[in-house]
Amino acid sequence: MIRSRSNVILSIATVFVLLITSAPVLGAPNTTLQAVVDSLFPIASSGEVMYRDLVEPAIDSIAALGADVAPILIDKFTTKSARERHTIKNILKRIGKPAVPHLTQALRHPDGLIVSRVCWTLGEIADSSAVGPLMDVTGHRRWQVRDEALGALGDIGDSQAADVMLFAFTDTVGQVRKAASVAAGKIRLAEAIELLVHTLGDEFYGARMSSVEALLKLDTAAVIKAIADSMGSVNPLVVNLGCLILGELGTDEAVEVLMSQVTSDDPARRAHAAVAIVKADPLDNCSYREAILANETDRLVLLKIKSAIYSTENEQR
Amino acid sequence: MIKQICLIICLLALPFAATGQDSGYSPDVPAEQFGISHLSEYLGLYPDDIGYRSDYTEPDSFRLQIVADLMNRPLGMLDYTAELKSGYVAAQPEILAAYLFRDLARKGQTVRGTPYRADVAEIQRNYNLYFNDIAFNQLLTRAAIYLDLILPRSTESALANLSRSERAFLTNEFIELLVMREEDEFLSVEAIDSLDKLEESYCEAFVEFGYKIDKDPIIAAGVDCLKEMILEVSGLQQLLSSGSVSAKKIIESAAYLPDNADLNAYLGRQSGWKIGGAGNDYYTGDYKFIFDFGGDDVYDLSFDPNNPHGVIIIDLEGNDSYRSQSDFTLGSGCLSAGLLLDYGGDDRYDARSFSLGSGFFGLGVLYDAAGNDRYDGDTHVQGAGTFGLGLIIDEGGRDIYNAAVYSQGFGFVEGIGVIYDVDGSDSYYAGGKYKDILRYEDHYLSLSQGFGYGLRPWMSGGVGAIVDLKGNDSYYADIFAQGASYWWSLGLIYDLTGNDNYQCFQYGQGCGTHMTLGILVDDLGSDVYFGKGLMQGCGHDYSCGLMLDRAGNDTYTAYDLSQGAGSANGAGLLIDNNGDERYFVKNHKLTQGYGTPRRDFGSIGLFIDLGGTDQYDGNGRNDYYWRTNSRWGGGMDIELNPPDTTGGEK
Repeated sequence: MIRSRSNVILSIATVFVLLITSAPVLGAPNTTLQAVVDSLFPIASSGEVMYRDLVEPAIDSIAALGADVAPILIDKFTTKSARERHTIKNILKRIGKPAVPHLTQALRHPDGLIVSRVCWTLGEIADSSAVGPLMDVTGHRRWQVRDEALGALGDIGDSQAADVMLFAFTDTVGQVRKAASVAAGKIRLAEAIELLVHTLGDEFYGARMSSVEALLKLDTAAVIKAIADSMGSVNPLVVNLGCLILGELGTDEAVEVLMSQVTSDDPARRAHAAVAIVKADPLDNCSYREAILANETDRLVLLKIKSAIYSTENEQR
Repeated sequence: MIKQICLIICLLALPFAATGQDSGYSPDVPAEQFGISHLSEYLGLYPDDIGYRSDYTEPDSFRLQIVADLMNRPLGMLDYTAELKSGYVAAQPEILAAYLFRDLARKGQTVRGTPYRADVAEIQRNYNLYFNDIAFNQLLTRAAIYLDLILPRSTESALANLSRSERAFLTNEFIELLVMREEDEFLSVEAIDSLDKLEESYCEAFVEFGYKIDKDPIIAAGVDCLKEMILEVSGLQQLLSSGSVSAKKIIESAAYLPDNADLNAYLGRQSGWKIGGAGNDYYTGDYKFIFDFGGDDVYDLSFDPNNPHGVIIIDLEGNDSYRSQSDFTLGSGCLSAGLLLDYGGDDRYDARSFSLGSGFFGLGVLYDAAGNDRYDGDTHVQGAGTFGLGLIIDEGGRDIYNAAVYSQGFGFVEGIGVIYDVDGSDSYYAGGKYKDILRYEDHYLSLSQGFGYGLRPWMSGGVGAIVDLKGNDSYYADIFAQGASYWWSLGLIYDLTGNDNYQCFQYGQGCGTHMTLGILVDDLGSDVYFGKGLMQGCGHDYSCGLMLDRAGNDTYTAYDLSQGAGSANGAGLLIDNNGDERYFVKNHKLTQGYGTPRRDFGSIGLFIDLGGTDQYDGNGRNDYYWRTNSRWGGGMDIELNPPDTTGGEK
């Protein structure tokens, strides 16, 4: 065991020394580069606990070869191994901006699996020169590519992509609508507020919950108005998650909307509204609690409200 | 301020329309279903949010329909578990085998393969009779038809589209995907990588032709054979118990054969056949058929997978010792069917690998009707199926199950493996031999005890299950076990009664890891659950792990990412319907209703306690709803059926 570890350390050190002392290697034919990458990659992507401390040096050694290794690594993106996939992404991220031209070129690759993984990597590098090429693949036939492309655009955070993000809210695949919600939140896309509120009732929880998070990042007044306008929605999730957001925002206007819901016939709706009011006014400065508790007779709704009060008081301590 | 006062006044002036309501439990709905729906609503979720698209990864040709259906709706695991429990009828193991055969349908498979049907002429082919007893000869004839005709022809039909080299691949290369070696822990990184690449090459090669295998004819033929053997043995047992025949009479009434007689032409005397009397007998070798009337017998059995054939062993009485001299023995179906039916005594089964209810491209059934038995084996043993069905049914006694890996209710690709233990306080141990070198220096892989396993990302896996109806049982394992699975599979434990003890280190007790499903259901008894991480209702990476304990005062202990924890878009649920529980966790941040925020949209963690006075070390609290600082998770501890506080007034 010790002998084999030593051999690996020695091999990494040898390759590394070779690379930094022998400039011609960097300009060498791809076959040489390929051989070097192939020799280090199994170590860089090793998962065994006994070799774990050798992984980072191996990743560094490959990244040190520069952008020329990007095409070799992109070709490896067909791997079936999740660990190898992450290793490729990590190396390319470490190479950074110089790898971007190779990656954007690979967005035209016929294999959709490679394209989605390239999108993922471009999002990690987050260089704005990739925005245009990424926008071009947001209509890709594979939903996985659309999902990753929108995710990458959100990570890059360039408002040029606003229109494709808004369009993606109508995608037939929940994962893509989720990506649109996340991206809209990341670039704080005000035009998406109504779509995000509508998405609170999405059939896919990923899209719903991502919309909650996105709305909390956007203009408070506009969000409250949009939620208030949707309180009559027949989709209970729009209203219930709307209450959750209003409780987090905690303004007078938000509480006003919530108060309109604590008298609902629907015990679940009352609970959502009351719990949100407790969240909005954790110290009960406005003395809403007594009235709410006094009028509520549903056993489990009362328990929800009391739990929220306990939780809030616990946070205050 | 004025606005706030007005709001309060309005509030007081408008008594709630719902005054007097109780949004509580309707007895028409199972408690756990109510709990899931109620907590989901509280968290802004639907129960149906727990479901996974079949195209998160490229679908393969080996996915089972039942796994695909349950991945689409994982909460259906609760019904599936109940149905599996009800699938057994006492003394009729063929019913459970037939039930499980149904679940071996591939995704989209509408027509199932059928066994070879022998025509009248083949059935009437004369066997020379050696014994005189009609019932016994009928049993032997039935067995001969299956062993000589139906099973080999069904295997031929199953593999008809494979070339000679592809058939050889099954028992030479493919099997390597299930074989571990203790010395692997000493390999260099290059050697491990090389080994990984070799196994990948086997996977690549297999997926090119594996879809051409139709396992159905072999398994269906085996189930038919089991049904007929059970029927014939039952008839013979009735005659024996009535006293109208005896073992001695049957044996002694055998024909006198001429000196130059070809024994292979006589039923019961063929090569590979043996009939034993009521005394203690010793059998050694590669047999097709053994019938033993009684006594404390010793079996030293072997099998050559390069020359596969059906095996039927029937032992009516005695404390027997069954020992493997090779792999693929003792209720092992390798490219055929292997049946071991033991009707009494405290037996000891000492096996190697692919044994003790192992179906490897076939059907393997070990049926033990009574006695305190001990089952020992290594790999793919004790209810293990690969392109087949492996089944142990033990109907009574205090049994011990001991194995290393891929065992004890283990389902690999297109396979189902089940232990169905009806009675007795049993002990299950899996692990301790093959080190988990990927994660630890001091823990061992189990991959057993209700475990489904697929080869990521090449082949979806199968269904592994333990159903244990009675007794205070102990389940011990290390990594991956106890109602758990990996890659498009299902792992399941259902334990009906008894104060049970579940110990597992990681990935267990209702845990799914990587697009897969795991469930542990324990109905009655005060149980103890212990584990480190990814335990007790945990789903990781588009997976669902569910743990349900319906009654008893239970104790749950875990370190992290457990007790209703979802990770990387997975969903984990811990549900305890009744009893005074104690919940302990080491890491409060990743447990008791927790969802990790991976891949933008998070995961789902639900913790549900529906009754009793409970103690918590963690996020939970008695009589309390909580939402954890996670995406998305929370819990509730409520009293589903609150005590009557009216003092009995009407």
